[in-house]
Amino acid sequence: MKRRNVAVIGCGQTKHSSRRRDVNVAEMVSEAVYNALEDAQVSAREVDAFVVGNMPGFGGVAQPEQWIAESLGAAGKPVLRIATGGTTGGSVGQGGYYVVASGLHDMVVAVAWEKHSDSKEAGATTGLLHVGLGNFFHAAGYGLSLKNLVATSVVGAAAGVAVYQAMFYMHRSGCGIEHFDMVAAKARRNAAKNKYAHLQWPGCTAEDIAKTDIVTYPFRYGHICPASDGASAIVVAEESLARKKAKQPAWFKGLASYTDEENQLQSENFGGVGVTDPSEQRGCWLSAVKAYRMAGIVDPKTEIDVAEIYQPFPSQELFFAERLGLFDEGTAWMALETGETEIEGRMPLDPSGGVNATNAIGSSAMQRILECALQIMGKAEEHQVPKKVRNALAHGWGGVTNYSTVTVLGDTPGR
Amino acid sequence: MGYLKDERPTTIGVEGGWNLGAYHYKGSRLLEEYVAGLKHKKLTGSFCPGCARVIVPPRNLCGRCHRKMDGRKTVSDRGTITCFVVSPPIYKGKLKVLGMDPVEIGLVKDGQVVIPVFVKFDGSDSNTDTVLLNADPKDVHIGMRVKVVWAKELQGSLADVEGVEPI
Amino acid sequence: MRRRVAIVGYAQSHHQHNMQKTREDMVFEVCKGALRHAGISREDLDTVITASTDFLDGRTISSVFVGMAAGAFLKDESKVEEDGTFALYYALMRVLAGTHDIALVEAHTQGSTMNAHQVSCFTLDPQFDRQIGVLNDIAAAALQARMYMNSHGVTDEHLAMVAVKNLSNAAANPWAHRKMAKVSVEEVLGSKVLCDPVRELMMSPVSDGACAVIIASEEKAREITSKPVWIEGVGSCQEAYIRDRDLGRLESLKTAARTAYKMAGIKEPAADLDVVELSEKFAHEELMAYESLGLCREGEGKRLIEKGTTGKEGKIPVNPSGGALGADPVCATGLVRVIEAAKQIRGEAEGCQVPKVRRALAHGQFGMCAQKNMVFVLGGNGS
Ligand SMILES: [Zn+2]
Repeated sequence: MKRRNVAVIGCGQTKHSSRRRDVNVAEMVSEAVYNALEDAQVSAREVDAFVVGNMPGFGGVAQPEQWIAESLGAAGKPVLRIATGGTTGGSVGQGGYYVVASGLHDMVVAVAWEKHSDSKEAGATTGLLHVGLGNFFHAAGYGLSLKNLVATSVVGAAAGVAVYQAMFYMHRSGCGIEHFDMVAAKARRNAAKNKYAHLQWPGCTAEDIAKTDIVTYPFRYGHICPASDGASAIVVAEESLARKKAKQPAWFKGLASYTDEENQLQSENFGGVGVTDPSEQRGCWLSAVKAYRMAGIVDPKTEIDVAEIYQPFPSQELFFAERLGLFDEGTAWMALETGETEIEGRMPLDPSGGVNATNAIGSSAMQRILECALQIMGKAEEHQVPKKVRNALAHGWGGVTNYSTVTVLGDTPGR
Repeated sequence: MGYLKDERPTTIGVEGGWNLGAYHYKGSRLLEEYVAGLKHKKLTGSFCPGCARVIVPPRNLCGRCHRKMDGRKTVSDRGTITCFVVSPPIYKGKLKVLGMDPVEIGLVKDGQVVIPVFVKFDGSDSNTDTVLLNADPKDVHIGMRVKVVWAKELQGSLADVEGVEPI
Repeated sequence: MRRRVAIVGYAQSHHQHNMQKTREDMVFEVCKGALRHAGISREDLDTVITASTDFLDGRTISSVFVGMAAGAFLKDESKVEEDGTFALYYALMRVLAGTHDIALVEAHTQGSTMNAHQVSCFTLDPQFDRQIGVLNDIAAAALQARMYMNSHGVTDEHLAMVAVKNLSNAAANPWAHRKMAKVSVEEVLGSKVLCDPVRELMMSPVSDGACAVIIASEEKAREITSKPVWIEGVGSCQEAYIRDRDLGRLESLKTAARTAYKMAGIKEPAADLDVVELSEKFAHEELMAYESLGLCREGEGKRLIEKGTTGKEGKIPVNPSGGALGADPVCATGLVRVIEAAKQIRGEAEGCQVPKVRRALAHGQFGMCAQKNMVFVLGGNGS
């Protein structure tokens, strides 16, 4: 069956910062929506449907799209709410594709956001803690020792499972903590060229990052993503509208979101898990395989021009780049050393600064799709990569390390 | 570090709560079997007749085979470290666990280093997370052989496994 | 629609108060049951869409620990955070897009985990309504009921008649929660007043329950079953926040129904539909839905219940399964309606079966005062 051609025709985001106290959720989200509509040169009236998402635990509002319907311009229209943890934005963006690809609607707005500062205690309390709360209380009933909890807190408080992932990856690939410094420095440097990013540091070097204290080996303070407030939105349309409205639409060429067995935080009711290496990420690998097949991409190493990888922690940029087939197993850090992943490099990774510089969780994976669209449309301004972008790869990651979204955008709709 | 936006005085804070105590989860009874085994220094895992994996502690379902993991197998209390994390020294007033200071309530000594580890016990196909005891942080490595440190008095509780130590 | 899509398998749990099953087991059993009903295995699935909410499950990323139970291991998976009909809508779109052929849709809520009415308070505007603390979904529904009753001369007895019809229908449904074969209008009116005019028996019970539906593209559906239930039309709409809309009508349901009817080629719903399954969380919503669905003219909803038109033996039976008043496992409720409608078409509805069903309507809703609505029109092979 022939697939309908679908494209991103407009992108909008808000300035991301640690506290957007100048706006409430409704105002912040509509800021992104109206920026996207303006970018696409369409009016709210022309939009057929909405796909929305965030992680409700952080803002403390259930089904917020119901309360903010009017501000979004969504009242009287179909609204689909998708929430999948860290991948929420990616899932929402992909939802936008499916709504149009299904033929049920021709133009939709997909918007995702997070307002961390609405949570009085640093996000973790109400939001992340709740992932495992049921399991924890269950185990506590069977005498889980508080000493073990200290261990969990030591790891969890700083970086959770990412620490383990980094250790696994370092062991497998031979990369060192200095490479994490380089990735983090690149993210802050690139973010300085992105006016919407959060942690901006023009000219930041690996030495600057190396001066920050170790939180939990192998991570330093300078490695860790911020908690941001922000929203991002895209306007998605079918072919004839896309060609009419946009000079260079960013076409959806391939997408997938494979889920793996849960890891780390135990399975439901504190059972064990069978995934023994959290950096193995089979879901990500399978998603990439399917997305490339849909897009007709045979050799991602040469055919992908730029990638936006979900990397709250620098180690993730490296092993996900390998999982996505952009580098051979265990070699991403070597490419980093030679500058291949810089904005001007052969395979630019996260020219926007990525999640490492800006993390409004629900919005983060959406931003990856949005940034890829900007690169294809040539609208990335200061962080535009200096080459013709034919295919861009957007990645999202989350759950208890088991969710992945992979989206390939291109400058032409076909294969 | 970097760019932080100034707070703008155009909004006010509105307080709200999310009552954590309001939930009433349903738990399975699988851990009962596990802790009953611990009382006899036995580590019980669930065995999947579909893919022959053994998971510790017992897990209810096998996602790969989409079936109940209704077999049981006892695995060795010796195993291999597959991953570890060395914490920075924990000082008084630095960390909060359930709102309490672990140093103050005597869980760890002031300045102590904690080493959470993943252990693959011989005969199991899963990582079990616990802590490494009686070891110098400098000696820890992936592939290190360890065995369970059992509590002096076994009570049939998760606390019966105090951690693991190098063999 | 770009291609024909059919429901080929389904299963639901025995919805009940405080079920003696973990969430994981409950989900696993319905998903396994649906696969068995369709006669396919997990390996045949292309995609899995689940529906539940973080607040109701008491877990952030609530889908994360039930993915394996739902059969999503290394499958293209996603989660919709609202009623199960929206998950079906999403799965349908994935199949229509041509990227997937067979999809499993799962929805669940254990109402015993957290009081669903308490959760409803968290959907309120946090800067105003939540602060004032007057509203929850029951209070809002009572306001809506009063507005509707005032404008159309509907009495408490009319609402009680809806409850009597649905609760006695539920008695014949083996999966329902609140079954009352001999309930009377007096008993309903005599039940506890929660928020006038809403009484206990006029409101859906909070149940623990789950259900799963498998859909497939035409080619696959014909391979899988000789009795596919075709999705002929679908429509969805969300209206503005409760303070920004006219509470006295269900405009969004009207829009959703209009969209679905157009797609299915339905001109006269009262004549073209053989049975209707509604997610009426409160009795008055059923009367309002009659009007929004075009089964009668505006304000005439009460006549249908007076005359017994929507009874099991009536001209257009509504909720022969007992509807949401019979069982309300919040996120699963709408998807259960889809299953009940499909069962009617396949002639598998046992005690709830209505004769000669060719076309059925299933409705799902979410949010206070039915802010979001979803309408599916289903048809059998002959329709
Ligand atoms: Zn198995």
